[in-house]
Amino acid sequence: MQFAKFVVTRIIAYILVIWIGITVVFFVPRFMPSDPVEAMLGRIMTRGAYMEAEQVEAMRATLTQAFGLEGTLAEQYFGFFQRTFVTREFGPSLSMFPTPVNELIGRALPWTLALLLSSTIIAWIVGNAIGLLAGYKSRWISSRTLEIIAIFVYPIPYYITALILIILFIHINPIFPLFFSVQGEAWSWEFVSSAVYNSVLPALSIVIVGFGWWVLSMKALSSSISEEDFVYFAKLKGAGEGRIMTAYVLRNAILPQVTVLALQIGAIFNGALITEILFSYPGLGTMTYNAVLQADYNLLMGTITISIIAVATSTLIIDLLYPFFDPRIRQR
Amino acid sequence: MYKKHSKILFSVFLLALVILPSTAVVSAQDTTEVGTPRATTLIVDQLDGRIDNPTQTNPYQAGTRFNQGLHQLAYSNMWEINTATGEQFPGLAAEMPEALNDDYTSFRITLRENLAWSDGEPITTADMAFTIDMVLNTPEFPYHGFLSQVVDSYEVVDDLTMILNTKRSEPRLGYTLGVHIWGDAFRLVPKHIWENEDPATFQNYPPVVSGPYTLTDVDPNGNWFLYTKRADWENTDVGQIFGEPGPEYVLFRFYGTEERRIIAGIQNQLDIFTDISPEAWDILRDANPNARAWHEDFPWANFDDPCERGIVFSNTQEPWDNQNVRWAVALATDIKSVGLATFAGILRVSPLAVPPVQVIHDAFHKPMREWMTEFAFEDGYQPFDPNYAVDIAAILADQGVEGLPADEDALVDLFGVGWWKHDPDKATEMLQAEGFTLENGAWHKPDGSPWQITINSPSNFEVQSQRLAFAVADNWRAFGIDATVQQMDSGTFWSNYSRGEFDAGSYWPGCGALPDSWDLLDAFWHKRHIVPIGQPAPGNAMRYDSDALSGILDQIAPLPSDHPDTIPLLTEFEKQFIVERPWLPMFGTSKFVPVITTYWDGLPTADYFYEGPWWWWSLFKYHMPFIQPKGDG
Amino acid sequence: MRNSNPRLRVGIVILAAFILLGGILPFFSPEDPRAWIRHPRNLPPSAEHLLGTTNLGQDTFWLLSYATQNSLFIGVFVAFFATLIGVFAGLAAGFLGGVPDRIITLFADVFIVVPSLPILILMSSLLQGRASLVLISIILILFNWPWPARQMRSIALSMRERQFVNTARFSGSGTFTILAEEIAPHIFSWAMANFVNTVLVAIATESGLAVIGLSSLEEATLGTMIYWALQHQALLGQRWWWIGSPVVAIIVLFICLFLLSTGIANLSAERRGHGDA
Repeated sequence: MQFAKFVVTRIIAYILVIWIGITVVFFVPRFMPSDPVEAMLGRIMTRGAYMEAEQVEAMRATLTQAFGLEGTLAEQYFGFFQRTFVTREFGPSLSMFPTPVNELIGRALPWTLALLLSSTIIAWIVGNAIGLLAGYKSRWISSRTLEIIAIFVYPIPYYITALILIILFIHINPIFPLFFSVQGEAWSWEFVSSAVYNSVLPALSIVIVGFGWWVLSMKALSSSISEEDFVYFAKLKGAGEGRIMTAYVLRNAILPQVTVLALQIGAIFNGALITEILFSYPGLGTMTYNAVLQADYNLLMGTITISIIAVATSTLIIDLLYPFFDPRIRQR
Repeated sequence: MYKKHSKILFSVFLLALVILPSTAVVSAQDTTEVGTPRATTLIVDQLDGRIDNPTQTNPYQAGTRFNQGLHQLAYSNMWEINTATGEQFPGLAAEMPEALNDDYTSFRITLRENLAWSDGEPITTADMAFTIDMVLNTPEFPYHGFLSQVVDSYEVVDDLTMILNTKRSEPRLGYTLGVHIWGDAFRLVPKHIWENEDPATFQNYPPVVSGPYTLTDVDPNGNWFLYTKRADWENTDVGQIFGEPGPEYVLFRFYGTEERRIIAGIQNQLDIFTDISPEAWDILRDANPNARAWHEDFPWANFDDPCERGIVFSNTQEPWDNQNVRWAVALATDIKSVGLATFAGILRVSPLAVPPVQVIHDAFHKPMREWMTEFAFEDGYQPFDPNYAVDIAAILADQGVEGLPADEDALVDLFGVGWWKHDPDKATEMLQAEGFTLENGAWHKPDGSPWQITINSPSNFEVQSQRLAFAVADNWRAFGIDATVQQMDSGTFWSNYSRGEFDAGSYWPGCGALPDSWDLLDAFWHKRHIVPIGQPAPGNAMRYDSDALSGILDQIAPLPSDHPDTIPLLTEFEKQFIVERPWLPMFGTSKFVPVITTYWDGLPTADYFYEGPWWWWSLFKYHMPFIQPKGDG
Repeated sequence: MRNSNPRLRVGIVILAAFILLGGILPFFSPEDPRAWIRHPRNLPPSAEHLLGTTNLGQDTFWLLSYATQNSLFIGVFVAFFATLIGVFAGLAAGFLGGVPDRIITLFADVFIVVPSLPILILMSSLLQGRASLVLISIILILFNWPWPARQMRSIALSMRERQFVNTARFSGSGTFTILAEEIAPHIFSWAMANFVNTVLVAIATESGLAVIGLSSLEEATLGTMIYWALQHQALLGQRWWWIGSPVVAIIVLFICLFLLSTGIANLSAERRGHGDA
């Protein structure tokens, strides 16, 4: 019963979070000094075509109507919710009119998910393993060395890591392709292998930057837990070192780390933005950045709405699974 | 146990680092990534970056992109421009439009013989009529508004001849429906393909086109576009005018940030660059002996890009509504330090409202140099400094730059006719006369408030204007004005400009490729375009309301380009422009557009100048017959 | 302080060097190092220019000192307030439960699920580029407090069930006393790690914004220094003094902060009588 009540309140919170988040993202760009019609007109006019005042006016009216930007803000707002949750589509992209946003996102999303989920999880596993060793067995040379490596690579900003990787592995020693280029039919061996091959460097830059933080935070957690009384008693009881490390230290230290991993999914968009731009990687990050630049409301709402729903859902799942991770927690 | 674990983990990690690279297939240099032979594939830098909608090739939809080769290679225009001579010439058309009456409202247009679409069907006036009707009947197209104000009616005479009647006088129909700069939106489409489609939603992929190349493959992610030479290239305007195009394939490719484009050039994986910075050019030149810029030596860059850069004022807002204030900030600007900080001094100055491209430089800047030197304010002060070219050459020679010309005429040709003096004392005097005060090294406006200037600048696009904004702000701060740069994305940058919601900005309302730039000057300066601040302006975004300037423009409007009064009247306009100083042009645009000659002969340079290096303009297709694979002669 | 805590000392020494570089030296600068074309461009290091000059004719050393000052300001300002707000909000949510928990969690979740970089880009476009470093810092705080809050909440949830807290509760201590006396020491080393992380996240986010041209670029920060160096191709042009200075500064700064935080953690562990870890 208690658990059922917890689930219900948590789901209500989940819906509230999504609603507030989407509302914020709906209104913020609309207070921006630029608007998509002007951005498009600017682009058309800087191409040098000469136009009279009336011609520009006519074109402006055409675009405003085609973009669906007529009507009050409230009408647009309800229109958006209706369109998104009833017909499940985000409308046409404004900067790439009339290509539908769904089509653009459908093409970019798998790339971003594949790159960022795999590299985030690799960084998490490697980082936590090293962090656990460093925290629990801090006198070992190997764990100290790994910890020091983590300290040194962790603070280097994404783009510096990326640039150094580009210089090392593309320029000086060209073992990776300069450009992102995937060959073959979808899901053929050639396609998959070239996709993986092309993704190694971007993934590596994320893993390098990501794993340092897991090492450091895991180390801090596990070393403080190692000093807890229950670990001390376990040692007195004669439990094996391996068992202490996994059953006592890891078990207690992993919970905050799982929480943060779930939250990391939200950071996917931030990581994606810079990494994807530097590696010309075909994902949502570059698309979102361009959408902001071009004031492409529909595309922006599409990418951000999807990310909000994805992150909110993953935190919801983590929350619901909490009691199974840590039976000591009794939901009220 | 755990010791083993840690070792296993560690070795897996190292193994991953080592194995992943070695399993990778390094593609051979003799084929490109898309499988075409490298020696016959011309690889071109993609100006607009990645194109997220690569298969949207309907040329009339609002969001269709063109700089990925679509308008350079696939679509031919009715009338094109030759940037070497600065003249228009017929492309798909057989002749320039022939005016049938003195009002310039009726024209005879003829098409070239034996033109064919890429599927083999002939190009006729039926296609032209279909295209006009389609645009006029499809209000969803942004171009619909434009064309419906131009075309009144048409009459198909035969397969190659059409009479076109316009709604108003069009003495420059070649500009209206043909290329002046960059390209033109009027693109013929094949009737037999389009007549059964809904034009507003038709994707048009793969497109059936009129140009010498067809789009044969695209990257679903929009990073590359492959064009293949048409077997029937003789049935295109390019083939008929200049002969067979050299490259079998043209690959437009986006490699990413400037670093990666440079590395691509060093590795001979990019033959033609769009815009790079002077620092990037230094690196490329040192690393690839086959890299060649427009000039063999200093200044390397091409100075003929058709827009000049400078600082724009919002002329209806105080204090910019005061002519003397605009002049004072001009004299507070040290043009040499601005030039050095912007592009290491590799720039040509311009004091006029039209850019210092060669044809215009010869037609206006140089003839007007003497007048400018003599030009004086009412108090007799002569603001012009004709010695800029000589002085900047001395500074550059000091920094070890080699290959500078010795005589003054050559230096003026290179660095420009001169600019306004850097005279902070005179600027101070002029500002104080207007009631400005200098307190503790900081300028205050007549109402006593500190004088703050915000200069809008592009963020990470149009690098020259971006750097110029920072350099000018730096100068003005040194003079005691609290100037800051506000970088903006392109959407904000342009909509603030158009709404007049800015203070100052590094915009570029000074464009033109031909001596007669009336169309552009009129759009930038005629008072009839002015709308209140807050509303998007159709032109004259600086909102400069001058009867004198507008009056001269009205006199030029009915004259065709070759009329004997056109150039003298435009010169009058320039003189009035200097007196009123409604914006502060500084430099022409320096384009570092290098090429890599490892695989190709005949890429245009200053020594082999058949066309300007504007790879992102529609005229690029006319380069093709000149560009030949190395070794084939 | 025992000899067994060398980390703290090394950390303090490096931090002192940074405070000298960023906190004190800027006041002795002979010029405003942000101004362009004051010196010949691209000079190598010399007695006159300790780290040479940039392609924009600035003195790299003085520029670095200004940059360090501003970056330290952003990092510490953001990390301090984000950690403070996050820890108290998280503890409150975890221990109080009920309605406060739900409200705090709701707000934290909203900021977590909204991707921050697009919003930061939108904001800086809204703020018309007059975005000062303080404003950028406040936006960064807005997006950084929910992280410690979430983690603190889960730590609080697990601690609430632990023996020593129950003991304290049975002995009649109030919630605040429990927080201050029993729990704070346990979370201190974690909070320090979070603080260190947030300093770096703040500096890295600011420089990330700078790289796409959206920070306050006329201000010198370690991020904008990297931005200008990259804009002028210092990396491929091998102008290591210019591009290297801010990168090395960021790395050393972090290592220093890390040593400090672990040093402090060890110190608090000693105080609690558990011996050196």
